[in-house]
Amino acid sequence: MRKFALKWAVLGVPALIAAGCATYPDPATTRQIAEGMVKEGFTASPGHAKRLVQDRSQQICSKIAGAPLTQEEAAEVVKLARASMRYPASGKLAGDWKIGNKLAHDGAGDRILRGKLEKRKENGGLCQNCHALAPGEINVGNVGPALTGYGLQRGASEAVVKLTYERIYNGWAYVPCSNMPRLGATGHLTPEQITHMVAYLLDPQSPINQR
Amino acid sequence: MPSIVGGIAAFIVCLAAAGVAPALAQSGDPLGVGRRMLAEDNPGDLWIDRGKALFHQKRGPQNASLEGCDFGMGPGKLEGAAARLPRYFADTDRVQDLETRLITCMVRLQGFKEADIVRRAISPGGSSGSDVEALALYITSRSNGMKVDVTLSHQKEYDAYKAGEYLFFRRSGQTDFGCVQCHGEAGKRIRLQDLVHMTDKKGVQEVASTWPAYRGAHFVVRTMQWRLTDCFWQMRLPDMKYGSDMSIALILYLNHEGNGVVIRVPGFKR
Repeated sequence: MRKFALKWAVLGVPALIAAGCATYPDPATTRQIAEGMVKEGFTASPGHAKRLVQDRSQQICSKIAGAPLTQEEAAEVVKLARASMRYPASGKLAGDWKIGNKLAHDGAGDRILRGKLEKRKENGGLCQNCHALAPGEINVGNVGPALTGYGLQRGASEAVVKLTYERIYNGWAYVPCSNMPRLGATGHLTPEQITHMVAYLLDPQSPINQR
Repeated sequence: MPSIVGGIAAFIVCLAAAGVAPALAQSGDPLGVGRRMLAEDNPGDLWIDRGKALFHQKRGPQNASLEGCDFGMGPGKLEGAAARLPRYFADTDRVQDLETRLITCMVRLQGFKEADIVRRAISPGGSSGSDVEALALYITSRSNGMKVDVTLSHQKEYDAYKAGEYLFFRRSGQTDFGCVQCHGEAGKRIRLQDLVHMTDKKGVQEVASTWPAYRGAHFVVRTMQWRLTDCFWQMRLPDMKYGSDMSIALILYLNHEGNGVVIRVPGFKR
């Protein structure tokens, strides 16, 4: 494009250049423009504005129009995810399925409206928004895979418990850049809350594992 | 907004009582039947007349109508104007969508204070709606039956298009969401709410052709600026600035991708 513009300038048709040379900005310019728009695009206290800043993994995972991750990028996201893992102080990764059941059906918490943070004792787990849960539940989303019978298929061995915990805490350790929010790593849920959701998914008593 | 879940539950009960429930098992679109029934008699139509009256009425500190407002086709020319928005306007040196252009005219022609209009632009649910909502619907309705035709010629239009695309895929916040996480696949729902598949031509054309829309759960007409604001709220991001360049870039990107679709407003949303 630059070369093209130069040629026309030499030919002395500056008006044509002005009219004819408007074109798509390159990726670096696009990024600069768009990030500037994000900075100016919200009214936010400094605390809330932090949510707009991408971490390294989010930057990698924002590929335009499904462009594939390179192997290096995928590896970096997995590495960052592994490094992000935190576990509850108790060391116990499976908590109370009844609390987990409640959390799984709670889509509220931490939203910002007119500068005010939604008042909640704790954030909901958001599961119901995207996943089918116990058999017969109608008001469930399908953006993520159905979790119905999750524990029936997998059992509740120590390895399964740990895997389940980590996939909720930061699923990008297993599927880099998946649509699943890194619920623990981003701070939406606490490690303790996640243990209850693990129990909800794996406990044979849990409604999700009833036939 | 918290009443939405209750609203859906009530809606399902109504459908069941009306004997529609047995059809649910066969239909991939469980709420579609009820939605189509409601859309046939769209209460949003009432907003068009109100918007028309507001457009022609002399109002504001300068006691002027909006008849001199240029939406890109020349002063007062509304036919097909909304179909080409957002676009670059030399007098503001900005790419503007319908709502920001409207507000420019309300400020410049009528003498309203921008901050006052913006504060009231998105009306509370269940209210009689805002002037901006009614005007935006009326002006868009003057493109009904015409095809969306957003073209890029000014550099700022190219910039906005690419920025809008970038923003559509930009993930941030504690949910790690960009637009595409919910709107990138066919047949997806958040709970029972259908999600428009916006990386698909037909899906994005629905976006480009049905706003402003009557929102059943809120009993008011909603605009595209509202739609974006509400998405960002659910994504746990801060309050979107009404009429920000970011919002206009997203709208320009989506409308451009939807080019060719025939505009039919008001849309009807659950």
